[in-house]
Amino acid sequence: MSTEQPFKISVSEDKIDLLRRKLDLCVFPDELEDSGTSYGAPLADIRRLVDYWKTGFDWRAQEAALNAELPQFTRDIEVAGFETLNIHYVHQTSQAVGAIPLLFVHGWPGSFLEVRKILPLLTAVSPEHPSFHVVAMSLPGFGFSQAPSKKGFRIAQYAEVGHKLMLALGYNEYVTQGGDWGSLITRMMALQYGGKHVKAWHTNMPLGIPPPVTRPVSYLKWLVTPYTAAEKVGAQRFSLFDKQGRGYFIEQGTQPQTLGYSLADSPVGLLGWIYEKLLSWTDKYPWTDDEVLSWISIYLFSRAGPTASVRIYYETYQSGDWQHLQAQRPSIPMGISVFPAEIEIRPLSWYKTSGNLIFSNTSHTKGGHFAAWETPDVLVKDLHKMFGKGGPAFSVVPGKTGYESPQAQ
Amino acid sequence: MSAGQPFKISVSDDKIDLLRRKLDLCVFPDELEDSGTSYGAPLADMRRLVDYWRSGFDWRAQEAALNVELAQFTRDIEVTGFGTLNIHYVHQKSKAVNAIPLLFVHGWPGNFLEVRKILPLLTAAAPDHPSFHVVALSLPGYGFSQAPSKKGFRAAQYAEVAHKLMVALGYNEYVTQGGDWGSLITRVMAVKYGGKHVKAWHTNMPMGYPPPITRPVAYLKYLVTPYTAAEKARTQLSQQFEQQGMGYYREQATQPQTLGYSLADSPVGLLGWIYEKLLGWTDKYPWTDDEVLTWVSIYLFSRAGPTASIRIYYEAFQGGDWQHFIRQRPSIPMGISVFPADHSNRPLSWYTSNGNLVFCNAAHTKGGHFAAWETPDALSKDLHEMFGKGGPAFAIVPGKAGYD
Repeated sequence: MSTEQPFKISVSEDKIDLLRRKLDLCVFPDELEDSGTSYGAPLADIRRLVDYWKTGFDWRAQEAALNAELPQFTRDIEVAGFETLNIHYVHQTSQAVGAIPLLFVHGWPGSFLEVRKILPLLTAVSPEHPSFHVVAMSLPGFGFSQAPSKKGFRIAQYAEVGHKLMLALGYNEYVTQGGDWGSLITRMMALQYGGKHVKAWHTNMPLGIPPPVTRPVSYLKWLVTPYTAAEKVGAQRFSLFDKQGRGYFIEQGTQPQTLGYSLADSPVGLLGWIYEKLLSWTDKYPWTDDEVLSWISIYLFSRAGPTASVRIYYETYQSGDWQHLQAQRPSIPMGISVFPAEIEIRPLSWYKTSGNLIFSNTSHTKGGHFAAWETPDVLVKDLHKMFGKGGPAFSVVPGKTGYESPQAQ
Repeated sequence: MSAGQPFKISVSDDKIDLLRRKLDLCVFPDELEDSGTSYGAPLADMRRLVDYWRSGFDWRAQEAALNVELAQFTRDIEVTGFGTLNIHYVHQKSKAVNAIPLLFVHGWPGNFLEVRKILPLLTAAAPDHPSFHVVALSLPGYGFSQAPSKKGFRAAQYAEVAHKLMVALGYNEYVTQGGDWGSLITRVMAVKYGGKHVKAWHTNMPMGYPPPITRPVAYLKYLVTPYTAAEKARTQLSQQFEQQGMGYYREQATQPQTLGYSLADSPVGLLGWIYEKLLGWTDKYPWTDDEVLTWVSIYLFSRAGPTASIRIYYEAFQGGDWQHFIRQRPSIPMGISVFPADHSNRPLSWYTSNGNLVFCNAAHTKGGHFAAWETPDALSKDLHEMFGKGGPAFAIVPGKAGYD
């Protein structure tokens, strides 16, 4: 069992050389005239990105920047019923000794990279707002974390890894922030470890189910209360996503290995597969080519390879965890931030059914799925409001309000 | 508008060399322990196939054999609103002069190759069964047919190409046989050109819906008649397909371009994507590596590239073609052959709702989706029965009963 080891990303020359050789042989499909983005990732974008990937993109520079900005580590975490997994994570403590320990959990096609912009904002010390000690792990099978080799590694297992990591770092009581799979995983953590360990949780992709008839007050209220204009727009957007945007979800949820041959063998195939989401799940976010290619590189150069990352869909979909967990209601305080270009949107009453809602900001007028990347200031502001003085989750972790001054020198 | 030009498959050395170089750089994913086929195409199969592809598979030999066995041609076909497409097809006449003209229409991930085994069976002349002149086209975007370059090329357009091809070949009256997309396309042909041109149609992948209440006799019969054991088994398989097997469909019907980058750039990715269907949609068919790689090569070396082939899903889904044409009831005689391992089987009563069912063989105990490939004898026999002397579609094409 290895204890914490400092980690620096250092992709081998072999991998970089192989990428270059594959890009040299790259074959593009054609594209129908005037198809825009309706048929998928647009050819002009992919061509441009591949050109830049071949001639301009400097992975070593990106790697060095990441290593400079994000203090990274690995350590072994035992998972009941599975092997010990070596987990990669970012860990940045705040100067404030009493900062609130916070676990940030990414999803797909996200990564630990998503913490990059909010990390300095969350760990900053100020009398105006709380500060946090931040842990951002790479989920098993993502980034530089090992992947499980057995079937059946479900949301409960990802939650177990997240929780045990926090304990191993000395954070017996902590809060979580998650979007995408991070939303479901932190939901599970709230259910399994909430109260004793997880004190509150925040998500930018809340899920939920309609109030059941067994909660008559909520149910009747839901029946008679018209949806707000924003809720109606959200419902339309969700419906569109269901119709047009779930192909990847269903394939990854049923035949991940089949898809996996393409993702493993073709960098441009991987680029297309992920880039389509970076476009359609964001609110006209002005992705730079460097951002896109760094993001894809985390998948391409990941320890377990990109195919491992899609198996979470299979295990969750096949087991019914997707529906089952949304129908649960963790008792610990929950905060939500809802962004207009998010893909999985529910009416507010559904969020209340599936969580102990003590903080919600549904008034955001811009932003999408990757909140920590697109609108980091806004997301952090919500966390400040939720956890700060006068906020509904103030001092939820005993003795760690986030305002203690740094120790005198 | 050109006349038919003889065509021989002749893949360039450049393409073969590029394939070799890509295979040399091939990267495989790992696989979970004991995952079998549950997670998709199994890694051991894929490794074996790629090894053989690199070191043993002889495309030139396959190419030569295909050119010998299948008389191929190309000709331009005008499609209203889309310009002219150069269409590749197999055309084999029977020795029997009055053989029945039959158009064979493939689907995805099928191709014109699927006619290979039934071609000699259908064109053979004998006193005890009818014979056929057979045309097997490569659908636009498949095989060596050109692909449309504009959006909106839907089921009606595929049907138009197929119909105009038959007319161009001098077959003003003909019958059709189709599975997979060929089932929808020949359905559209029956609706649009049936009676005057299409005289009868046969499909091995019928699609239907429950008898509606507006047809009270059929409806009541449907309500009170229990499903047979075979129907139950087939329905279960179809339900499993709906739950586990529709990922490719959802993606191809909504984001074909996204998937297309992988299919165009990675031969092993294309192999995995198609091979999973060759395994999953057949009835334990003992695919040889040569068969699999030849099949996939038709996609890899296709004129328009493999990405073009999946756009039919997008256009038909977005355009609502299945929903619309399934509700139609072409009046011309319809024959169906139901194979137990096909993925879209429905109760037999569903097939009377939307077709003039004159022939039905649901007694097959083996066979799957690619009927012409897996069980060519059984499929031919059904066609012989349907169209032969004493059969329900005998002499359906005037003057061309199939017997000399």
